[in-house]
Amino acid sequence: MGAFGRFFKNINKNAAMLIMVLPATLWFIFFSYLPMAGMVIAFKEYRYSRDGFLASIIESKWVGLQNFKFLFSTNDAYIITRNTVVYNIFFIVLGLVIAVAMAIMLAEITNKRLAKVYQTGMFLPYFLSWVIVGYFVFSFLSLDRGVVNQVAGWFGIDPVNWYSDPTYWPIIIVVVFLWKSVGYNSVIYLAAIMGIDKSLYEAAMIDGANKWQQIRNITIPMLTPLITILTLLAIGKIFYADFGLFYQVPRDSGTLYSVTNVIDTYVYRGLKSTGEIGMSTAAGLYQSLIGFVLVITSNGIVRKFNKDNALF
Amino acid sequence: MIRKKRSFTVALSLLLAMSIVLSACGGGKNNSEGTAEKPVELIWYTIGTPQKDVDKVMAEVSKYTAEKIGVTVKMSMIDWGDYSQKLQVMTASGEAVDMMFTSSWAFDYVQNARKGAFMQIDDLLKEQGKGIVDTLDPAFLEGSKVDGHNYGVPANKELPAQEVWRFNKQFVDKYKLDISNVYSLESLEPLLKTIKENEPDVYPFAVDKNQMPYVPYDYVIEKLPMAVSLDTTDYKIVNVLDTPEMKQILNTMHKYYKAGYIPTEAATMDSMTDVQTTGKWFADRATSQPFADNLWSASYGYPVVSTPASDAMIYNWSVMGSMQSISANSKYPEKAMEFLNLLNTDPVLRNMVDSGIEGVHYKKASDNVMENLDESKNYDMPTFSLGNVMLTYLNTTDPTNKWEEFKKFNDAGTSAPLLGFNFDTSKVTTEIASVQNVKEEYWAALMTGTVDPETYLARANDKFKAAGLDKIMAEAQRQLDEWRAANK
Repeated sequence: MGAFGRFFKNINKNAAMLIMVLPATLWFIFFSYLPMAGMVIAFKEYRYSRDGFLASIIESKWVGLQNFKFLFSTNDAYIITRNTVVYNIFFIVLGLVIAVAMAIMLAEITNKRLAKVYQTGMFLPYFLSWVIVGYFVFSFLSLDRGVVNQVAGWFGIDPVNWYSDPTYWPIIIVVVFLWKSVGYNSVIYLAAIMGIDKSLYEAAMIDGANKWQQIRNITIPMLTPLITILTLLAIGKIFYADFGLFYQVPRDSGTLYSVTNVIDTYVYRGLKSTGEIGMSTAAGLYQSLIGFVLVITSNGIVRKFNKDNALF
Repeated sequence: MIRKKRSFTVALSLLLAMSIVLSACGGGKNNSEGTAEKPVELIWYTIGTPQKDVDKVMAEVSKYTAEKIGVTVKMSMIDWGDYSQKLQVMTASGEAVDMMFTSSWAFDYVQNARKGAFMQIDDLLKEQGKGIVDTLDPAFLEGSKVDGHNYGVPANKELPAQEVWRFNKQFVDKYKLDISNVYSLESLEPLLKTIKENEPDVYPFAVDKNQMPYVPYDYVIEKLPMAVSLDTTDYKIVNVLDTPEMKQILNTMHKYYKAGYIPTEAATMDSMTDVQTTGKWFADRATSQPFADNLWSASYGYPVVSTPASDAMIYNWSVMGSMQSISANSKYPEKAMEFLNLLNTDPVLRNMVDSGIEGVHYKKASDNVMENLDESKNYDMPTFSLGNVMLTYLNTTDPTNKWEEFKKFNDAGTSAPLLGFNFDTSKVTTEIASVQNVKEEYWAALMTGTVDPETYLARANDKFKAAGLDKIMAEAQRQLDEWRAANK
């Protein structure tokens, strides 16, 4: 028998489970693990070979870290890294607080039909593409036809040229992001709240706990594992910016770059004309590497405090 | 553990063996293919909004070409905005393509030739492409050489580029404006003023974010601020943003912006298409060709008139404005060249590809004049992108001497100083990527006059310097000097 036999026996025993994870496993193998070999392009000057993709990779010249240089060659590196990270911190913190708050409020609404209406209303923006959201925002902020400037005009306030004045954009970006994403996240938390054992609340009520005390001492502690996991995952993506948000919503206006330029848009702009695949791969590798380190570190920290809440 | 390792090795060697077998299959080539009985299929990617009847027309085309040269054609169209990116990915991943559109402005010809996307066709041109060499103005093949070799077949069309001011004729007539004295940007002012005062709903000067004011300089790379003066004698590359001509133009643009002649959102507007459809514009600038007014008027549905804004000059980008290349991984390069040769010399094939099937998409009014039928809306192709335009049938509205005028226009054009010189950016890719970002930040805002050049020009120049513009310019200058020494 030996190890081999045991292996097949195990397969047999868990056949149903294995079949269930099979599609996801295949997906990961084909779309995450296999392409990982392509990382090597980040260190090459990618040139086409007539014998196809693999030959191109192998025959291209090895250039070491040359491709990473453009990310750090100007002081833009500081601006784009700052923008990416700071915006994402705001998104994570505010997104979490507001989504949880909304979820709790939705759960507390006794009129279930009304709750569904609110939920749907909040959820809807999540399905819109950034291009459409960009036009929504434009209809508000257009210099001569925008709602905001017209309303301001009624009160005698001078129109603001929104798309060439960077002052307000940090707020606009955060608000637009929250508007689009909060509904989706609050539904996740709402589902978790619905799963909390009702008898806990009943016991608390018998002990005379008011609503606020119930939320603080039952709902939030019960949500903590989910909050930790989602936050950890978000931290892993802290070096990835939502391209559509930072490109479509400010209408790619050059004067706003100081507050809207993030790693993804920077890479896109730098490479859309030169088409250097090596450089885009390098940027992607850099983002993934930092994200990886961040996930490991923050997971380590969580483990220190509470082993059960950690991802792994 | 050991067992695990072994099975991994087995799997790996299996995978390798399989890929060898697969690639061996793919590499098979049969010499008896490519005849009328057993035609080979050529895969052709070209630019333009995908048309409904492409497959239908290509079936007809294939019948004709199978008979003549033993090939069938499968054409795929990719929309204007997506073309560069899609082709970039397709060539990088080694997708099967035989022929593709390339140019100076979409799926960059020079860059991709250097990266190895196209097959070098010097010999093919001598053999299968003889007809092309005979019909084309030699300036096209000469001007589209990259490092001394040809990688694409330019379309025979207008050779020089001439900038013109275009006017919406409706308003020119209404206010009895005189456009004959307009030449410089400054000379437009009184006209714009009239429109601004009398037509509040009309954009006096239709400018979008792609606006490039005309200055008498020849750019090393389009839209990066390095250029040599058109009347240069020492071929010194300068920063265009530092030149008095550019400063003056930018000041004028800013003045126009403040006066309300330019759309307030110009710096973020992708295109003027909507405005052109409604006709609510008065003037703009465009690149012209003989009888362009007819073309524009026909496509907008209202009369457009134009007057020159520059001399007609032959630039690299005007020579490489439309080309068809053979893919580096094409299995049938000789057949592809035979096809391109036929496309550029045979009126029957050229017009079938361009206008569709006779009796379905168009009907003939006389020997070389045709009229579109209703079905032509399902097969409306960008004529200039598909090879020799001088073979195409005239429209009923075209003057009969159209192609003679084209030839005259081509002969009259003078060469720009950098014609034939192609900057090899491989030593400065890092700097180019950084400079590109600076350009994106300041270019549109400056060129549309949205911001004050007094402050922003200096800021832009500082950032360009920090991003390494000087290094790029020095490298370009070095290559340019070498090129001149070699070509003198």
